[in-house]
Amino acid sequence: MLLNYFKIAFRNLLKSKGFSVINITGLSIGMASAILIILWINHEVQYDQFHEKKDRIYEAWNRSTFSNKLQSWNTTPKILAKAMQQDLPEVEKTARVNWQDNYLLTVGEKSVAIDGNVVDSTFLDVFSFPLSKGNVATALQDPHSMVITEKLARNLFGDENPMGKIVKLNNSENFTVTGVAKDLPDNSRFKFEFLIPWAYQRTIGNDDENWGNNSTRTYVLLKQNASFDAAQQKMKGMRKKYDPSEPEGEMFLYPISRWRLYSSFENGVESGGLIEFVRIFCSIAFFILLIACINFMNLSTARSEKRAKEVGIRKVVGAQKGNLIAQFLGESVLIALIAGLLSLMIVQLSLPAFNNLTRKHLIVDYSSMSFWLAFLSFVILTGVIAGSYPAFYLSSFRPTSVLKGTFRKIRALVTPRKVLVVVQFSFAIILIMSTIVVRKQLKHAQDRQTGYEKDNLGYHFLTGDLEKNYLLVKQELLASGIASSVSKTSAPLTEGWSDSWGFEWAGKAPGDKTDFDRFCVDESLAKTAGLQLVKGRDFDLQQFPTDSLAILLNESAAKAMGFKDPIGQLIRDNGKEWHVVGVFRDFILHSPFYPTRPMVVEGAKGWFNVIHMKLNGNNGMAANLKNMEQIFKKYNPAYPFDFKFVDEEYANKFEDEKRIATLSGLFAALTIFISCLGLFGLATYMTSTRVKEIGVRKVLGASVGSITSLLSKDFIKLVAVSFVIAAPIAWYAMSKWLDDYPYRTALEWWLFAIAGLLALMIALVTVSFQAIKAAIANPVHSLRSE
Amino acid sequence: MIALQHISKWVTNGGLRTFLLKDINLQIEEGEFVSIMGPSGSGKSTLLNVIGMLDDADEGEYNFLGQSIHTMKEKQRSQLYKAHIGFVFQAYHLIDELTVYENIETPLLYQDTKSAERKAMVGDMLDRFNIVGKKDLFPNQLSGGQQQLVGIARSLIASPKLLLADEPTGNLNSKQGEEIMDLFKQLNEEDGVTIIQVTHSEKNAAYGNRIINLLDGRIEHPR
Repeated sequence: MLLNYFKIAFRNLLKSKGFSVINITGLSIGMASAILIILWINHEVQYDQFHEKKDRIYEAWNRSTFSNKLQSWNTTPKILAKAMQQDLPEVEKTARVNWQDNYLLTVGEKSVAIDGNVVDSTFLDVFSFPLSKGNVATALQDPHSMVITEKLARNLFGDENPMGKIVKLNNSENFTVTGVAKDLPDNSRFKFEFLIPWAYQRTIGNDDENWGNNSTRTYVLLKQNASFDAAQQKMKGMRKKYDPSEPEGEMFLYPISRWRLYSSFENGVESGGLIEFVRIFCSIAFFILLIACINFMNLSTARSEKRAKEVGIRKVVGAQKGNLIAQFLGESVLIALIAGLLSLMIVQLSLPAFNNLTRKHLIVDYSSMSFWLAFLSFVILTGVIAGSYPAFYLSSFRPTSVLKGTFRKIRALVTPRKVLVVVQFSFAIILIMSTIVVRKQLKHAQDRQTGYEKDNLGYHFLTGDLEKNYLLVKQELLASGIASSVSKTSAPLTEGWSDSWGFEWAGKAPGDKTDFDRFCVDESLAKTAGLQLVKGRDFDLQQFPTDSLAILLNESAAKAMGFKDPIGQLIRDNGKEWHVVGVFRDFILHSPFYPTRPMVVEGAKGWFNVIHMKLNGNNGMAANLKNMEQIFKKYNPAYPFDFKFVDEEYANKFEDEKRIATLSGLFAALTIFISCLGLFGLATYMTSTRVKEIGVRKVLGASVGSITSLLSKDFIKLVAVSFVIAAPIAWYAMSKWLDDYPYRTALEWWLFAIAGLLALMIALVTVSFQAIKAAIANPVHSLRSE
Repeated sequence: MIALQHISKWVTNGGLRTFLLKDINLQIEEGEFVSIMGPSGSGKSTLLNVIGMLDDADEGEYNFLGQSIHTMKEKQRSQLYKAHIGFVFQAYHLIDELTVYENIETPLLYQDTKSAERKAMVGDMLDRFNIVGKKDLFPNQLSGGQQQLVGIARSLIASPKLLLADEPTGNLNSKQGEEIMDLFKQLNEEDGVTIIQVTHSEKNAAYGNRIINLLDGRIEHPR
C-alpha cells in the first residue's frame, strides 16, 4: 500500500515538473530558513547550559535607586565572596572572576596579546571547563600558575607539551603552565584563552576589601539540597550589613541559567532580554515555513481537478476517506523529505554567510542521532502542515460527481485559497515595512552629528612602556608631522568607562544623584577630537600649568549643575578640587541612539589608558601608519602595535541595528520570493483553465491589455487586502521597536506606501508574466480543439 | 439479493423538488443479468449509484444481501461494498499514473490482502483476460477496448457478487462492444456474477435476462 502511494507520488511529481519544482524550491527555501533560525535559537538556548552544576550556580547582583530609578548590576566588591562564605551556610563555594582583560604573553621570542581572566582557584570546580592536562583542584593554587586553552597551547608551544613551561605575563612576571583546558564552547559568557589565579592579585596588592569598589563578578555554588530562598533572604541584607554608605542597596542571587535569555532588568526585576529576540525569530521561522507550506496547499488544491478523478476511482474501488488522507499526507511528507534534504544542502552552503551575519559559529552535527531525529520530525511536521488541508480537501470529493465529469472547473480563486494568499502577502509586507523602518532608523542615527571630527582620528592603548614614554612618543609624533595634535585620555572617545554621582559643587541640591560621565585628558582635547567649545578654552599645560586640575563640562553637565556662568566654578571629585575652564558642545560618547549625558572632563591629574591623535591627512594613511609603528616599537618594543581608527570604532556602534536590518531584509526577500513562487504557480494554473475563455474574448476583439488586467486583477486585489491587514500590524510593531530608541526616526505613512507599492509591483510582475503570455497567444490554437 | 422499496431521490432547487428517482420498487435476485434502459436524464445512472452505494437515497429502504443499507453506518457500508460490489464505467476510469498491473491491484490494497496473495490474484486476472503482455503499460498506451478490459479486470479482482456497469460499451466500437458483452454474459453464466448494466442499446440490453425501463425517475412497467 505504502509502496503504491509512493509510486503514485513520484509519478505525479515527474508528470507535473513545473509544480514540483515550485513546491520543492519553495519548501526547501522555507525549511532552510527555519533550520538556520532553529540552529541559532538552539545555540542561544544552550548558552552556558553545559555546566554540570548549572542548577546550583548563581551570580551575585545589586539593586539600588539612582536618578529615581531602581537599577540592577552585577559587579560586586571583592570582599563579598568572603562575606558570603561566612554569612550564608547554603554556600558551598564562591568563585570570583575579574573583568576579562588583554594581556601580553611571551614565550621566548614569541609574544601574543590575548584575553584572559583572573579567577579564584575554585573557578574550574564551579564551572565545567574540563582540563585535558592538569588537575582541576590544584591547577590554580600557586599565585604564579596559569591554565591555558588547547588553542593557546598550540599557538605558544606548537606540539610541545606545555605543562610546566614558563610564560611571561605583560613583560614582567613569569607564570608556570599548570593546566590545559579544552577549547571553550562558543556559547559561553566566558571567552578567556587563559586563567591566572586570584592569589596573584593579592601579590600585586589588587585585592582590596573596600565595599565601595564594585569591580568584580562573584559566583556562588550552593550546596546540594540547600534552600535557594533562604540564601536569597540572607543575601538581601548583605549590602546594608557591610556597606554603611549604601543603606538602601540590596543584593540578590541570580541563576546563571537565566543569565543569557532573561537578564534584562527594569526597575530591579527581570524584564525579558534576549528571549524576546528568540521569540521573534521563532515566529519568523514558523511563518516562513508556513508560507512555503501555503504554496503547497494552494497549488495542490488548485490542481485538484487533476487528482479528483483518481480520488473518485479509488473511492469506487473501495478506498475510505482515511486511506486517501493517508495517501495525500504521505505524498506531502515525501515532498517535504525531498525539500528537506535539499534544504540541508542550502543550509550547508549558506551557513558561513549566516555565521558571519550573526557572529556565531553555528554548525550542523551530522553525526548526531538527535539531529537526524529532529530533522525527521521537522520534515514530517512540515509535510503534515503542508499536506493537511489538501488531504482533507481532496479526499472529500464524492465519486459520483467527479467521475460523471460534472466536477466544477476552477475558474476563480476560491475563498480558502484567497485567505492563504492574503496570509502570505501580509507577512511579506510586514517584513518589507519593518526592513524599511529599520533602515531608516539606522540612517537616521548614522546621520546624527557625533560632535567631534572622526576623520584621521585614532587611538592606541597605553600598553607596556607607552605610559612611561608618553611624552617622548607625543613629541616624536608631532615633530615628525605624523600627527597634528596628541592627547592622552582615560578611555577611547567612543566608550564611556567611568561615571559618578559623587561630584560636589556650589549649589548642588541635597540628595541630587545625577550621574555624570567622567573622562580624563591631559590637554588639547578640543583640538585633537575637534570638539566645539561654546565657552572658555581647551586645556593647555604650557600656558596654564594649573590646567592639570582644570575641568571641562559639556553643555548638559553645565546645565545639570545649574551654573549661570560655569567658567571658574569649583568642582570636587576624588578628594581633589577642579576648576572649570571651558564648556563644549555635547558629543556622543555612548550610543548614537540615546541622548547625550552630562559629562565632565578632568585634567592631567586624572588617570590615563589611551593615547589619541589627530593624524596629518596630507601624508597618506599607509605612510602615517608605517612611521607611527616605528615610533611605537621604539618606545614599546615588547607590545604589538595596534592602532584603532575612531570612525571604525564608531561604526561598530551600529552593528546590532545593521544586523537587524540585514536579517529583516533577508527574510523579507525570502518571504516575497516564496510567496511569488506560489503566486506564479497559481497564475499559471488559473490561466491554463481559462484558455478557451481568453480565445473567445480575443476573437470578439479584446485587447492584450484588457485580457492581462482581467487575469491579473484578482491577484492584485488580494495583495491590496494584504496591505490593509499588514500596515497597522507593522505600524504597531515598529513603533514598539522604535520605543526602545530615545533618538529615533519618525514613522511616516509614505514608508508604508512604498512597502505596499513594492509588494504590488512584485506581485504584478509575477502574475502578469503568465497573463500576458496567455493574452498574446493566438486564439486559433486555443479554440481549434473544440 | 437487492430489494429497493419506495426509493426516492431529489434535488431541491429554489424551493422546488426535482425528483431524480421517484418511488422505485425493485427486486433483483442473485445470478440475474439486468439491463436498465431509458432516455437521457431518466435516472438510470442515479439508480445504479444508489444500488452501488455511491449515492444515498433521500427516502425509502434498501436491503442488500439481507442487510438494510439505509440504516447502516458509513464504515459498515464501505466494508460491505468493498467485499461484494464491482464497478465498470463508460469512461473506464483507470488511474493514469498506474500501470495495468497496479490498476488491477488497487482494490486489493484497500482490502488489506497480503502481498503474495495479491500477486497471485492479479496474475490470474491478467491471464484470464489475456493481457499479461500489457501489464507494465500505462492506460494511455492502450486502446479503448483494452482499457475497458482492464477496468473489468479491476472490478472483478476482489470476486464481487455484484457487477455494476454504467454504459460499459458507450465509448467502444461495435466489435469491441460485442466482446465486452460476451464477456459479461460469460461471467454471469459461468461464474454466477450478478450483473446490472445501464445501456442505451437494445442490442446490449438483450444480453441480459431482464430489462428495466426508466422514465423521469420512475420504473415503467410493461403494459
